[in-house]
Amino acid sequence: MKALILIDKEYQTDIYEQLHNTIKDYFEQKKFELDEIKIGKEDLAFCMGCFGCWVKKPGECVIDDTMSQINHKFINSDVVICLSPLVFGQFSANIKNALDRWLPNVLPFFITRPDGSTMHPSRYKSYPRQIVIAYAEDIKDEDAELVVDIVKKHRRSMDVIVYKNSQAKLLESLNNIDMMRVGDEL
Amino acid sequence: MSIVSRRVILVNGSPKIKSNQSVSELFVNLQENSMKEAGIDVGRINVRDSITLGKTQEDYLEMSQADAIIFTFPLYIFCLPGILMRFLQDYQQFLMKQNLTIEKEQKIFAVVNCGFPEPDINEEAVRVIKSFSRQIGALFGFGVMIGGGGMFLGTIDAPFMKKTKAELYNAFDQMSEMIIKMELSPMENRFIKPNFPRKLYLFAADREWISAAKKNGLKKRDLYRRPYLK
Repeated sequence: MKALILIDKEYQTDIYEQLHNTIKDYFEQKKFELDEIKIGKEDLAFCMGCFGCWVKKPGECVIDDTMSQINHKFINSDVVICLSPLVFGQFSANIKNALDRWLPNVLPFFITRPDGSTMHPSRYKSYPRQIVIAYAEDIKDEDAELVVDIVKKHRRSMDVIVYKNSQAKLLESLNNIDMMRVGDEL
Repeated sequence: MSIVSRRVILVNGSPKIKSNQSVSELFVNLQENSMKEAGIDVGRINVRDSITLGKTQEDYLEMSQADAIIFTFPLYIFCLPGILMRFLQDYQQFLMKQNLTIEKEQKIFAVVNCGFPEPDINEEAVRVIKSFSRQIGALFGFGVMIGGGGMFLGTIDAPFMKKTKAELYNAFDQMSEMIIKMELSPMENRFIKPNFPRKLYLFAADREWISAAKKNGLKKRDLYRRPYLK
């Protein structure tokens, strides 16, 4: 089993260190093969909204940088954990750049989900289990609720945990997640 | 009677390189019309240009001194695009480093559009701008959530868009009024979408992708490629 951890180089705080160590130990104990990618300010170009990943080079970003390697690893992992600083209630800029450029992994078309909402169909038959763990030194309740809504209102196969310094709670949340690939429901 | 002049900065957070191809730019143009008509002094900032041309410091200073800022941007994966997050994170750092405080009455508005037909999908993005406003010490006015964003370029002046265009102007005029009166209490968010059947919009959008691919020399089946499968 393979786990990929995405990390923001910009926020290497004490709370990040604790969180990172806990996550590494957790997956090592479960005998996962771990891979880590640290994303800094200069590492990824910004998505340019060109939709080339849909209509020019379907499934791949047209920008030639490390994102293609990240997407390749993403698709071939069992679990992807995103350690994201919580900024204004959402993902930090570096992590969000990677998430924006995840777009090649879905199809351009529209589908209507059972609840009536509109979404893009999946490109692959299965995806890694995705878990976002949001952290910050001081988290306002409003921001914690917001990041949960961003993920849970719109994504069916993505989990979100807000890390507020409690290792026990983090482990409990992780234990409630099936650490294996999921189907094609995004 | 002396008239106090107000200044607004219209920030376009579209990641697109050619801004004339962005729907956000269209909405910023409408805002500019509304603000100028109300006698408000208008400044414009394009986030990608600001970052690429290394103008962020002067743009941040201008933003910090304005009476109001309107952020207009597309929804990316259900929240703000990375490029706009970079711009806002660095702005917050700038304010801290320069030891600048925002004038208490500064108002911030959000105008978010998405390709999905439902305007309310943009709600979380509006809340992110609200959280940002609170953290820098500005007052959040309200958000405008726009669905069916893919339709606006090219149809905005069509007769069937008349009502939608009026709704947009109504929202922007409301912003102008709040800026002029220095209205302190927030207003309800607005939800706007083209007056067009949802099914037809989805159908047309799907056809559009296939035709775009064909222009690039691809066949319909190429759109389904799975390049990262081992």
